[in-house]
Amino acid sequence: MKKWMCMNCGWIYEQELGDPIGGIAPGTAWEDIPEDWKCPDCGSLKSEFEMEEV
Amino acid sequence: MTALPKLEDLEDKSFDPFMVEKLSTGNCPDPYPRIHELRQQGPVVEGSYRKNFTDVPDVQMGHLPQVMVLGYDAVLHVLTHPEVFRNKEAFAPNLGRSFGNTITVMDAPEHTRFRKIFQKAFLPNVVTKWGETVVDPVVNRLMDGFIATGEADLIEQFTHHYPFQVIYAQVELDPAQAPVFHKLAIAQILSSIGAPQGPEASGKLGAFFAELLRQKRANPGTDLISHLATVEADGERLPDDVLISFLRQLMNAGGDTTFRGTSVLLTGLLTHPEQLRAVSEDRSLIPAAIDEALRWEGPVTSTFRYCAQDTEIQGHPIKAGTFVNTVLASANRDPAKFENPDAFNIFRKNTVRHLAFASGPHLCIGQHLARVEMTRALNAILDRLPNLRLDPDKPAPAITGHLLRVPEHLWVKFDRA
Ligand code: HEM
Ligand SMILES: [Zn+2]
Repeated sequence: MKKWMCMNCGWIYEQELGDPIGGIAPGTAWEDIPEDWKCPDCGSLKSEFEMEEV
Repeated sequence: MTALPKLEDLEDKSFDPFMVEKLSTGNCPDPYPRIHELRQQGPVVEGSYRKNFTDVPDVQMGHLPQVMVLGYDAVLHVLTHPEVFRNKEAFAPNLGRSFGNTITVMDAPEHTRFRKIFQKAFLPNVVTKWGETVVDPVVNRLMDGFIATGEADLIEQFTHHYPFQVIYAQVELDPAQAPVFHKLAIAQILSSIGAPQGPEASGKLGAFFAELLRQKRANPGTDLISHLATVEADGERLPDDVLISFLRQLMNAGGDTTFRGTSVLLTGLLTHPEQLRAVSEDRSLIPAAIDEALRWEGPVTSTFRYCAQDTEIQGHPIKAGTFVNTVLASANRDPAKFENPDAFNIFRKNTVRHLAFASGPHLCIGQHLARVEMTRALNAILDRLPNLRLDPDKPAPAITGHLLRVPEHLWVKFDRA
């Protein structure tokens, strides 16, 4: 399966779960996440994420 | 096949780094009442964390101007503002002397560049594979040593060995060299108390890794070292000093921490038998159990940052040039975030993440590996040691220390296979 992963820390964005603490509702598509959203674990920007096979 | 390089032991063969290590982590039975008191004084409190718990002088940091930062929000603020709260100046005089130019001693942009290369080798999809190939054989071999007896000290016979043996497997260490390797790895940290064996150990491990890298570059395999020795980012390889420093740090950052994390996980479960039973019957609870153990008794109770400019936290000023004891343990037991914070309860519903692996750019690079290791270890224990319980005839486990907390023994009984 393809998912988005933070390349600084390995945190994985799962669309079903979203990031409620970071203001991203469950079900939000990756494309719809604002550019200033940050990785909840390490604070990297969205641009630091890459699509990965997990 | 070329022979792997040989490690050289310390000049003074009788020197026992493990004894000296105990001195620097202390024997404080429970630092948490004091940590709560300090937090109640405010988010920024004058002084050194360590001085609250031990009289053993800190020759490298003790004389420096310092504050403690306490409570979840304040600690998170420090960790996620790396341009103000820097690593370089905070770690160069201690970790930097022991290990060299490791990523812990770097700030952006240098840190960002190297961190990404190292992290590639420790991404979840990579380390999950090591669970079966590297971790399971180590775990099973150790358990074979006591499974027939119906009793064990899970610290002395299990947790104190397995994360280190996972590292030996990854650096393909000759088993005969393991005791010297472990001794040198611990001795390196003693630079922080001024012991001359510290730099001696750092030098000897460095020479060993330099030779290992030379061999792996000439003849790369599929192992971690070959991978790190040849990996490129933007057409550039990791410089030798950065790579060797990382390998020097691995036993301490990955071994000492996972040893303690696993020990407190088992202690938490064994002292709460109803939670042990629940996890045993429903293995999907294991991730929650691991996170609760690390929140409750995280091995790294406090870390350092250096305040590079005049700033404030929740209205409390911190002057440029101040060293900041960032008390992770106070964040993880902050009653504003975790109800009844001193209780071990794997069923708690958290609204925030614990900070046992820190946060921000220096967030633990090995957390996915640590989780794989702890999961494999716990599963094996639950599978292979039926009716596991504390040994009623032995003292109850007591977690001690103000930093790198761990119980000295964890005596258990179980039904023989
Ligand atoms: C339960 C086990 C572990 C705990 C509690 C833990 C805790 C931590 C903490 C708190 C930090 C941040 C230190 C700071 O920024 O001041 C850290 C960083 C680090 N950890 Fe871990 N760790 C664990 C396991 C591991 C493992 C298995 C590895 C092996 C790869 C590892 C390698 C590292 C490295 C290299 C850093 C430095 C990262 C950087 O500065 O960018 N850790 N760890
Ligand atoms: Zn991240």
